[in-house]
Order: sequence, then C-alpha cells, then structure tokens
Amino acid sequence: MFSLFRTEMVKQWHRPRTFVALGITILIPVITAIAIKANPPSLTSETRDEFTFVATHTGLFLPVASLQFMSRFLLVILVALFAGDAVSSEANWGNLRAMLVRPIGRGRLLAAKLTSATLLGFIATVLVVLTALIAGVIFFGWHGVNLPFPGAAFHQSAWHIIGNLGISTLYVFWGLGSVAAVSFMVSTMTDSPVGAVSAGFGLYVVSQILDGITSLGSIRYGLPTHYFGSWTELFRGSGPTADMARGALLQIPYIVVALSIAWWHFRRKDVLS
Amino acid sequence: MAPPPEPAIEVVGLTKDFGAGVRAVDDLSFVVGHGQVCGLLGPNGAGKTTTLRMLVGLLTPTNGAARLLGVTMTPSNPVLARAGTMIEHADFVPFLSGMRNLEVYWEAAGGDFADANVEEALAVADLGDAVHRKVKTYSQGMRQRLGVARALLGRPEILVLDEPTNGLDPGEMREIRELLIRLAGRGATVLLSSHLLSEVEQVCSHVVVMDKGKLVAAGTIDELTAASGSVYFGVDDPTRAREILTALPGVRTVTPEGAGLIVELDSGRRSDLVATLVHANVAVDTVESRHRLEDAFLGLLAHEER
Repeated sequence: MFSLFRTEMVKQWHRPRTFVALGITILIPVITAIAIKANPPSLTSETRDEFTFVATHTGLFLPVASLQFMSRFLLVILVALFAGDAVSSEANWGNLRAMLVRPIGRGRLLAAKLTSATLLGFIATVLVVLTALIAGVIFFGWHGVNLPFPGAAFHQSAWHIIGNLGISTLYVFWGLGSVAAVSFMVSTMTDSPVGAVSAGFGLYVVSQILDGITSLGSIRYGLPTHYFGSWTELFRGSGPTADMARGALLQIPYIVVALSIAWWHFRRKDVLS
Repeated sequence: MAPPPEPAIEVVGLTKDFGAGVRAVDDLSFVVGHGQVCGLLGPNGAGKTTTLRMLVGLLTPTNGAARLLGVTMTPSNPVLARAGTMIEHADFVPFLSGMRNLEVYWEAAGGDFADANVEEALAVADLGDAVHRKVKTYSQGMRQRLGVARALLGRPEILVLDEPTNGLDPGEMREIRELLIRLAGRGATVLLSSHLLSEVEQVCSHVVVMDKGKLVAAGTIDELTAASGSVYFGVDDPTRAREILTALPGVRTVTPEGAGLIVELDSGRRSDLVATLVHANVAVDTVESRHRLEDAFLGLLAHEER
C-alpha cells in the first residue's frame, strides 16, 4: 500500500499544477502582509475585516485573516482540484488503464489516490497558515493581543492564539471534507478533471447560496457550509463552540456517502478511457 | 518441462453489452496455447479491443469468461502480474520522463524496479537519452515503443497487445515483429490485435477472426489460407499445362507467372490437379500455396455477410 501511495505522490510532486497551487498559498499571505504593512487598514464602522485590522497589532493574527479570506474561495478551489483531479486526470491521460492492468486492486488504488489528494489539501491549508504566521511575525511581531473592539473582545496571549490557529487549521481543512469527497466521487465517474473539480466547488457555492435564504429555516442547518465560518469565534474570546462541533460532525455523512459511492462505482467501473 | 494443462489464454462464451442493445462481443470463444503468437483480426468495430479489455480485467463481461493461465479474469486480478499489456494507445503520465513512467508503473504494484528487466525492455524501446525526457515531448512512435517496453517489464509469460505497431515507421514495425518472434521463441504467449494483415501473417502462428463481435474463424495461418485461394504450379511446359488446367472443373483462372502458373481455385483439390498434369506428361516441379492471409480474411468476412 505504501509503494502505491509513494508512486501517487511522485506523480503529484512532478505536476506543474501542484507547484502553482502551493505557490499561490505561499504568495498570497506574503502579498497580504506587505500590503497591510504599506497601507494599514483603519478601524471604521464599515470595517468588516476585523482580523486584518488586528493583524497590524500582532503578526499572529495575519494567519487568522489569511485563513478567513483564503477559505472562502481559494482553498475551496484547491481542495476540489486535488480531489477532483485524482482519478479523472489519470483517465484523461489514458494512463488509468495502464494502472488497472497491474495487480494493484482498484480499492487500494482509490485509497492511495484519496490519501495523496487529502495530504495535498492539508499541505495547502497548513501552508496558508504557516506562511502568514512567518510573514506576520516578520512584519508585525510576535505579541498577544489586548484590543477593545466593537462587538468582540480580543484578549489572548500569544500561545493561546497559536493554539487556536492549530484548531482552526484542522477545522477549516475538515470543513472542506464534503467538497473534497464530492469532487473525488465525480472524479471516479468522468475523464474530465474540470467536471470533477466543478462538482465539489459547485456544492460549496450552492450550499452558500442556499444558506443565505433564511426562509429555508432549519434545512440550512444541514447544508455542508452552514457552520464553515464558526471557527472565527475562537479568536473573539470564546473557546471551541457547539457550532464548531456541529460543523465538524455535519461533514461526516457527506464524506461517507460520497466516498462510498466512489468506492462502489470505481470497483465495478468499465474502463473505456 | 511440460507446459501447464490449462491454455495460456481462454475465452469462453464471452459477451459484452453496452446498454441500449449494443452488443460489442457476442458469445466469443477461442483458445491460445502456450508459446503461440496469435493474431486477433477483424474489421473496425469487430469487438477486438473490447475482447482484449475483458481479457485484462478492464471491462466486466456481461456473460462468459476470459481466462489467463486458467484464472478467470476479474478487475486487477493477481494473475495480471504474469501478463504484459498494451491496450489501444500507449499513454503515460505526460510530465514524467519515460524512465520515471516505467518506474511508477512497476513499483505501483509493489515490485522492485531493479527486478523489472528494465534494460532489456528499454533495448526494445531504443529511446536512447530521450527516455529521461518528459513523455509529453515524445512522438507517437516513441510513445508506442515505450508502451511495448512497459508491457515487457518483468518478462511476462503472456503479452496482450492491441495494435502494437500503430504509429511506427516501417523500420520500427519490423523491430517489433522480430521482437515478438523472439519472445515466442523463448516461450511467451502473445495475443495481438492488428488490422495489418501482412504483419499478422509474418508474426503469428495462429489467428482468430472476428466480425460484429462474433467468432468467424480460428486456427493456424496455414489452415485459414488453405481454405481458399490460389496455387502456384512450377511445370516444364506452361503452355500445355495451362490448356489442361483451364479445361478442368473447379478452376477459375490460370495465369502465367515466370516458369509456372498461378491457378485460382473455386473448388477441387490441388492433388487432383497435379495428378491430371502428370497423367498428361507435364512434369510438376513445385506446388506452393499462394493464398495470402488478406485473401482468406476477406473471403471469410464475405462468407459471413452472405
């Protein structure tokens, strides 16, 4: 199993798209740090991006701000890309049939591909936080925070913030599990990587749109992205909230159902590509 | 050492439906013995590639079974470790080098690349330093040769090749043909599909002919070509021999060629023609079948149409 996983990672590490994707996760936090340093945001009643403002007082909040805006779009795309590309790109190259005429076992191949896609998604999430942390500390220093702020209090020690960053990173990564699982499922059904990536990203967009329709009532609580942003409460003074627990648990049925369908389908699939 | 009792390749009642009433392969049965080089022939859409895909576990048969070395094929069956395959085009991970592609292919199944006889396989591919270049820079011929090399990794007992000389120039095609003959010489079993009848005729000992998913004929090349066609007679008096043979029933045409005659037969046995000539005091030096596989193939398909 490890040799199969290793060969999958060899393929991933040699792909230009992997470097581009991970490069972006490094570049954007650095650009953000430079931009904030050059042009610090002011705190006004219109200021919605409070974490960016706090980041000018302690570099430890730059990863919080980066994670917040990157998780709204770019990380979703990257996670959908790694998962959606996993099987469909191999089918698109025509190399999937070469892999499947080896005595590998389709289930094992699928597990190796899922593991490598998950690892890349995790690396992308961690890179955002880590790069922003390094850039933040360089530009704005390593401090705790003690700021009065309208509607929220920011009173946390440096190590408290670091602890919360760790929890947030894991939560955001896990919160994208449904996106990854749906992309991966579609990846086993199509030769078109774009289609598979779009499926996961489409789930995220549709879920966000439906979540904005309050008339849907309690149905919204079952949408995979309903609790996605609840991790930010960690930095407003509260500990892990019940919403975070609900958000984490909510991913499980989406992941289980999508991966079960992927497993069932791929093991029986007639490989024509 | 005696060969194992089960055939190297066995197809029994193989059927494949693709929904909406499309039957690509219909109750197909044939056997390929150990050490045979068997050509799978048929016009486009005959079901050759579908048959080969079922044989290596890429497709699940609707009915029947495909067996390699006595093992009924299922997806990713362990018996595939003893087979080398190239189905349709030779495709690779485009941004990996040829060498890295071979390595990934081999090691994915847990094998040690050092045990893959890679030097021997690469000698076939003859890519030189290009084997370290990314595959996306390769020509179609280079990919095809790398594909054959990939199929040869680990010295498989069985080779299943779909149009192996597709995209190759005449020199490369000849190299592949010679390679297949060498492989058969060392005991490997080869099943290859091709639409190049001359290629099959030069390489294969046996052929299976398919049309519209069904078996049309199977046997040795000689058996198939002997069923119909033309015969060359080397005689001492071609003019007299032509007069005699033209008058015989079952003889369609008699055409001079060199010091002899080419006789096209509708029916009748060659031995009867020889006896008639000898009886008429015409010496017969040579009797050779001049049937080409192409004639036999087209004749078989035409017979099926009727």
